[in-house]
Amino acid sequence: MDPLILVALVIALALFFDFTNGFHDTANAMATPIATGALKPKTAVALAAILNLVGAFLSTEVAKTISGGLIREGDGGIQIGPELILAGLIGAIVWNLVTWLLGLPSSSSHALFGGLIGAAVVGAGFAVIDGGVLASKILIPAVLAPLTAVTVAFLATRIAYSITRKRERNGFKKGQIFTSSLVSLAHGTNDAQKTMGVITLALIAAGFQSPGTGPEFWVIAACAFAIALGTYSGGWRIIRTMGRGITEIEPAQGFAAEASTTATILASTQLGFALSTTQVASGSVIGTGLGRKGASVRWRTAGRIGIGWLITIPASGAIGAVAALLVRLGPGGLIAAVVLAVLAILGIFLWSLTSRVDHRNLNQPEPGVFVRPKKKRKARR
Amino acid sequence: MIDWVAFLTVFVASLVAACLAVTLFSLGLRIADGEAAWRRPVSILMFALCAVAVLIGLYLIVGDHLLELVGL
Repeated sequence: MDPLILVALVIALALFFDFTNGFHDTANAMATPIATGALKPKTAVALAAILNLVGAFLSTEVAKTISGGLIREGDGGIQIGPELILAGLIGAIVWNLVTWLLGLPSSSSHALFGGLIGAAVVGAGFAVIDGGVLASKILIPAVLAPLTAVTVAFLATRIAYSITRKRERNGFKKGQIFTSSLVSLAHGTNDAQKTMGVITLALIAAGFQSPGTGPEFWVIAACAFAIALGTYSGGWRIIRTMGRGITEIEPAQGFAAEASTTATILASTQLGFALSTTQVASGSVIGTGLGRKGASVRWRTAGRIGIGWLITIPASGAIGAVAALLVRLGPGGLIAAVVLAVLAILGIFLWSLTSRVDHRNLNQPEPGVFVRPKKKRKARR
Repeated sequence: MIDWVAFLTVFVASLVAACLAVTLFSLGLRIADGEAAWRRPVSILMFALCAVAVLIGLYLIVGDHLLELVGL
């Protein structure tokens, strides 16, 4: 196949992945301010989109190894060609859309890693995966991230409720705007960069760009706008799960959760122990639910989210592997993989229309969640 | 494998930073709720300290990138 067409396909899929990354992760920053009424839904996603756009332009550093060292490259492993990147992207996109359809806040980065791992395994076998790096960079942090966030948010919530009185707590809504904005900005500087790295790698691999050079301006601009557009589209299903599905959130809880998410993400990026934003944000919501007396955490929903995290890498890896098997058959297989991916995306989109969730019906209870009226106490005789 | 010292540092830093920001903001709200003359300036001081924490966060996110963009 003409390298130009192949690279164009990779760029198109990478930008679409960036778009899904944006709308998948809007909830990390904006679910709690929307849930407490600190921001109107459309205002919240517009603010998040602008901050993601700004963040993406500010971040000029490109991850040299998009797989973060998970896939052994060079002598001991394989060189990731555009075909395998394409297969990995298909795995990441399809899994991101499946989790969106289910309203599960799963990590887009893990979906991307999973897709690339699956494609690389088909390319060169299981020996290509560095198990030690997989455990230390993904599996163990996936347990530590929510535990850290739960603890921090639990204590922060306890502090907020012990210091303030009920009539003062609406004031937390103003604070939420600042903390959620910081999460959005941090997201823009980190996540758009991954797609820039994927596109730059594909351009270098196909010989359209010199090795060792950074992303072209048009790549930065395209990725920035793709993630901002995705963020503005709003992953309302995930926003509903994070904002209302795990626990009912009051303004003081929202502020405590966002402060915990911001502090944990900033500490992890600055101190060299990377934690997933999605897992930290979900953990903070659970922690704040535990921290307020009288609040309850819906463990069934939290369990579903946990299972989603566990299967993200194997599932996106399996889809990436199937795509890689097709791609290896030649140009016909590559076209078949792309056509099947487009059909899967369309199918998921059409399925989503059967139970549409957007900013207008965000506050309706999820199907199957019953509102139990309070029992009336019998009058004392 | 896992750099436990780095993780513990992240854990403690997150805990201290989040609890400090929440404490300052909560104190700002609590102190503002009253009639005494001293309450308003002290409440503003609490919010200002909290704003400093937000600015530090902002600097940690964009500071290096901005310095790089202006060529410093």
